[in-house]
Amino acid sequence: MSGSRTRRTTSLLFILAAVLPIVLLAVSLNMGAYPVPLKAVWTTVHDALVPGRPAAEASPYADILFRIRLPRLLLALFAGAALAVSGASLQAIFKNPLVFEFSLGISYGAAFGAALSLVFLGRGMPAQVSAFFFAILAVLLVLLIAGRSSSQIISVLLSGIIVSALFQALLSLVEFFANPYALQALIFWLMGSLAHATWSDLSLTLPVIGLGVVILILLRWRMNVLSLGEDEARSVGVNVRQEKILIIVVATLTTAAATSVTGVINWIGLIVPHLVRMMVGADNRKVIPLSASFGACLLLVADDIARTAASFEIPIGILTSVVGIPFFIILLKRSGKVWL
Amino acid sequence: MAFVATLAGFFVPGTAGEAREIVITDDLGRVVAFPAKVERVISLEPEITRIIVALGAGERLVGIDFFLRHHDHLFSVLFPRSKSLPVVSNQGQELNYELALRLRPDVIFSSPSEFRMTESIERKMRRPVAALASMGKFDVLLREIELLGRIFGREERAAELDAYFRGRMEALRAAAPDAGGRGKPSVYLSFWGSLIRTPVAYEPVDAAGGRNLAAGLLPSQLGAAGTTVPVEQILIWDPDVILVQGNYPPGERSVTVEGILGDPRFSSLRAVRDKRVHYTFGFWYWWDPALVLVETLYLARLFDPGRFPDFDLAEEGDRIFKTFYGTEGAFSALCRTLKCHEWIAN
Amino acid sequence: MKVQVRALTFSYGLFTLRVPEQDFGEAGITAIVGPNGAGKSTFLKCAASVLPVSRGAVLVGGRDMAGLSARARARLAGYVPQEPSFTFNYQVLDFVLTGRAAFIPAFSSPSRRDIEIAEESLCFVGLEGFSRRLFLELSSGERRLVLIARTLAQQPAVLLLDEPTTFLDPRHEVGMMELLRRLAREKQKTVIVTLHDLDMAVKYADDMVFMKGGAVIASGPPRDVLSEPLLKAVYDIDMGIVRTNGRLVIVR
Repeated sequence: MSGSRTRRTTSLLFILAAVLPIVLLAVSLNMGAYPVPLKAVWTTVHDALVPGRPAAEASPYADILFRIRLPRLLLALFAGAALAVSGASLQAIFKNPLVFEFSLGISYGAAFGAALSLVFLGRGMPAQVSAFFFAILAVLLVLLIAGRSSSQIISVLLSGIIVSALFQALLSLVEFFANPYALQALIFWLMGSLAHATWSDLSLTLPVIGLGVVILILLRWRMNVLSLGEDEARSVGVNVRQEKILIIVVATLTTAAATSVTGVINWIGLIVPHLVRMMVGADNRKVIPLSASFGACLLLVADDIARTAASFEIPIGILTSVVGIPFFIILLKRSGKVWL
Repeated sequence: MAFVATLAGFFVPGTAGEAREIVITDDLGRVVAFPAKVERVISLEPEITRIIVALGAGERLVGIDFFLRHHDHLFSVLFPRSKSLPVVSNQGQELNYELALRLRPDVIFSSPSEFRMTESIERKMRRPVAALASMGKFDVLLREIELLGRIFGREERAAELDAYFRGRMEALRAAAPDAGGRGKPSVYLSFWGSLIRTPVAYEPVDAAGGRNLAAGLLPSQLGAAGTTVPVEQILIWDPDVILVQGNYPPGERSVTVEGILGDPRFSSLRAVRDKRVHYTFGFWYWWDPALVLVETLYLARLFDPGRFPDFDLAEEGDRIFKTFYGTEGAFSALCRTLKCHEWIAN
Repeated sequence: MKVQVRALTFSYGLFTLRVPEQDFGEAGITAIVGPNGAGKSTFLKCAASVLPVSRGAVLVGGRDMAGLSARARARLAGYVPQEPSFTFNYQVLDFVLTGRAAFIPAFSSPSRRDIEIAEESLCFVGLEGFSRRLFLELSSGERRLVLIARTLAQQPAVLLLDEPTTFLDPRHEVGMMELLRRLAREKQKTVIVTLHDLDMAVKYADDMVFMKGGAVIASGPPRDVLSEPLLKAVYDIDMGIVRTNGRLVIVR
């Protein structure tokens, strides 16, 4: 591919990345079980943005659009971005394209934390805090088990599987001891769903995710350096320990914030960065921001399907697994090949 | 469910003539043959356990399941002897096989939502295992009563309960003008601790003169009783009445009447504006046959208060429970745990 | 810039490296040679502070490497490993750009100047036009050159290279040593390399350091320090030194 052609493709992709989430948001606002005519959507949004219409003429659709659909759509965008960017970042610093929030135990650590909070601590403690704490714990455990050879592919992957399994077992334990009332809610939550998005949930989650994603995007070039490996990165002048910990903490916080509201939604952190790398190469200056955008779009589209394809809500975690698992298998089969 | 009674079947040793074997197809489609004499029973399905007690065959229970012992406070009131029975299952409602074998049951009843476990019990225990539950339908419930009456040789008592149940339902239907006046109120049920999970079939609502909006929808899992609807669907339906499952201890409720009334998403709903959001008993994939009757009466009055001017639900409830189980004040005891006197004394 | 080693010890397993005193000359090439297991790579890594060293053990330009931050160290000494460890398939230019890390703040991306410097480094090692090629598609020799370009982009005063000529065919071997010579002469870098090819070392090095068993046996300019008894002592076999065409050649 000639230089100028790739540059043009890349620029086009960046424009697409900036525009697509907004376009999809507008389209998704029109989708849903409740039939809202196109014109009404436009009028309602217009009224909301440009005040002046007296209350008597206020659109009856405002509740649907702004109280039910909009929070859910925003959650999809933010959570999708969170998962994709975290996955991409972790892949870079662990030098391992098979790493994502699931294989590092973050997903199930956060799920266990949130479950613990929901079942035993009640509504007193927000589930996000517990989720974050256990997500970090999971990552620390992975690093501990993998030992100093955290640059070896097998080592980190294996420890990630072990830690994931550990937290899944602990989760089962929580389920086991939960009274049947809490259990009902918990099992449902674990399947992953954006159906419960309300503004009060989002008031804490969205800013945290937003901040995390921004920080990771700012650190995108740094990830190129860190992905060289500890020794080389250090010899090139980087405080490896500090920066690696920073990225891990931010990626974990961002994932945990999303997971504590949506439940376990897997595979976004694996699929999206790989798709992006296949399009633009491995340079994280492109991969990280594009992952954020396309992760957001992917989850939004998946959620649109989850809520409109059938008369009942399809749990979104199942949708992403159904797509993600075959994708993972294909990736593994190609693993003899050079990593993108 | 097809019932086939076989005269002098192959299962009968020795005793001539009168010993009959009963062969049925259970709710999982399995063919089960019950022995002529059933003296020792284990039931993992709370609904079946309750019917056995109501039939007066409770002394034949040799074990009790985990849920009834630890999470159902009413049952020990209805059947005090249950407190001395060994617990044969764990929190996951899985059978403790060794203990069960030691108890030498003649027959085991399990839940239709646990196919693998049912098969496993059959293989390990080599006793007849039947999976039965009504899943929200009256006729199935009544058939269970009749069947269990025959299995335990308590046909008369079964007929008594059957007549009582049908009688009260008839009385209810007679008192309700069917398609006159305002017509049936549309009802949305929020069960199982989630706003968006609702049963696709719940007969008490129908019998009480209401219309379950989710009726006929595809359940989200094959064989399950419920489905999950998008929040917008509730807005489209705009139900006249919203019912929230209330047989949770109050501290455990994640969906509450106050929560729905205060939720900004629902402020435009008719039911919220008219404050027609109430608790009801609901079910956990199994019923208490007496409670079902009480609930239907409660709902009938809820939908059309004018129909039952002098009606004390608590008193009626106690009376119904006494008819079934012979215990005094059982319903009031239940109400104390669920704090339901707050919402039934409408 | 001068590199001074004082009272350096490093051990792992049963092996201990001990160098009481060693200086490396400025703007020239010093070749560290010796048999396998002599500790050449270990010494090199310690001098580069890739392996942790105690205070006062390694001074570059008079500054104590152990007391500096990674960023400050990187501006003084650049270490080029024999092969890069596993990496993503970056474009060559992006790979070289990572060498600028010491000059770019943590939350920033490379500037135009950084990119220029990276491209200049590529030119210097002879890989002009390779900017957009993918790293993992290059030959082994080309990858080594990219590694050197990266270290050049780092603009350190001292370059330390571990076995840069291993597995290269004769033509590329010579090319590599010529490049190192240009680095020393044109860019005034202090170049320290480990080599196991004695001939190359003798031909190109301004200074040689002979090591065995974790210690320095002898050091100095080749014509001064090279002798058959020394070679026997270091390598444990008889080797001859032959003068031909004005050059010294080692014969086994």
